[in-house]
Amino acid sequence: MSLAIINGSPRGKKSNSKILIEHFLAGYRSQSNHENISVSYLIKSDQQKEHLASFSGSTNVILIFPLYTDCMPGMVKAFFEQIILLKEKPQNLGFIVQSGFPEAIHSVYVERYLQKLTLRLGCNYLGTVIKGGVEGIQVMPDSMTRKVFSKFRELGAHFAQHGEFSPAMVKQLKSPLRMSKLQQTGYRLVSLTGLTNFYWNSNLRKNGAWEKRFDKPYA
Amino acid sequence: MNLTILNGGPTEADGSFALYCSTLSEKLGQTHTLQHFMLDKMETKQCIGCWNCWWKTPGICTLVDDAEQALHAVVHTDLLIFASPITAGFTSSTLKTFQDRLVSLLHPYIQLVKGECHHRKRYDKYPDFALLLQKEPNTDAEDIEIITDIYKRLAVNFHTSLKYVWFTETTKMEDISHELSHN
Repeated sequence: MSLAIINGSPRGKKSNSKILIEHFLAGYRSQSNHENISVSYLIKSDQQKEHLASFSGSTNVILIFPLYTDCMPGMVKAFFEQIILLKEKPQNLGFIVQSGFPEAIHSVYVERYLQKLTLRLGCNYLGTVIKGGVEGIQVMPDSMTRKVFSKFRELGAHFAQHGEFSPAMVKQLKSPLRMSKLQQTGYRLVSLTGLTNFYWNSNLRKNGAWEKRFDKPYA
Repeated sequence: MNLTILNGGPTEADGSFALYCSTLSEKLGQTHTLQHFMLDKMETKQCIGCWNCWWKTPGICTLVDDAEQALHAVVHTDLLIFASPITAGFTSSTLKTFQDRLVSLLHPYIQLVKGECHHRKRYDKYPDFALLLQKEPNTDAEDIEIITDIYKRLAVNFHTSLKYVWFTETTKMEDISHELSHN
């Protein structure tokens, strides 16, 4: 049995996807020490052959990527166009889709595509883990990331034990699918304080671009 | 009417998709102002999520390649046509790679739209969307539904709507021309 993690984030080793995978693998390794594990980064385009070999030569493949314009990044689509041509496929294929939006609803549309793609490839579909609210995890205090990292470790531990994504954990990570009316009201109230845009505003100020934030350069 | 075609297909002269697009482009160009971007002849780098276009040079992507002219056209067009043969069940990576660069046309701030978080507008107006697809041999109705649903979501994020879905196999160019002239 072997596990290949394929990171489809254009940010590569600086990605939030990498951080989530580190926690997943920490959980995985806590329950398994006898399997081959490989981690590859699709952004390293000079390693294309290795990526394909890793995909086709592993029992389990988990592909993680950030949601880009409501779907997979272009470079991940390019990878799909290559793997569809391969003769050797992994036995099991699963996905982790993370996004900056707090709700999971944005990613459920690409989930349908991923399921269909897996069917087309002839692999067993392990499912798609969806996690919103991930942008900013690299600057958030520990108190804000502790729970999500812990869930990814649990996800990894369960995967090592059972060869599947824990249905309970998938459900928890996918929550909220949509904001409740109460959450929407809360969001509107908090947005009045400017807190919802804190991440963007602090970087705009740091870069001296605050005054230009509403620019329309192509108008 | 201003029309922009983002052509994510292979552009070799004898390809059926390329032929359909070039003929359509010529036909529509007779009555509309049209720009046809053949993406596989342009250098378009993958968006790397650096957010420079949101927090360093607002509205401008700092990757240096051929994308800027097409991004400028998107802002000024009335209808944006995403044209692509379906490959591996979705529009091509060539088109998707360009599509990823569209984020520079939005604002990083989030607002609630129908109870969901979406980016607010950077520009006052965004074009209607259209899809021009060529099926692959195993394309089925579910594939088309998956693709159109994803482009409908993209349209929501761009404060617009997916107005037309055309197929090179079944949609007559005369019908497209008629639809656009009676818009």
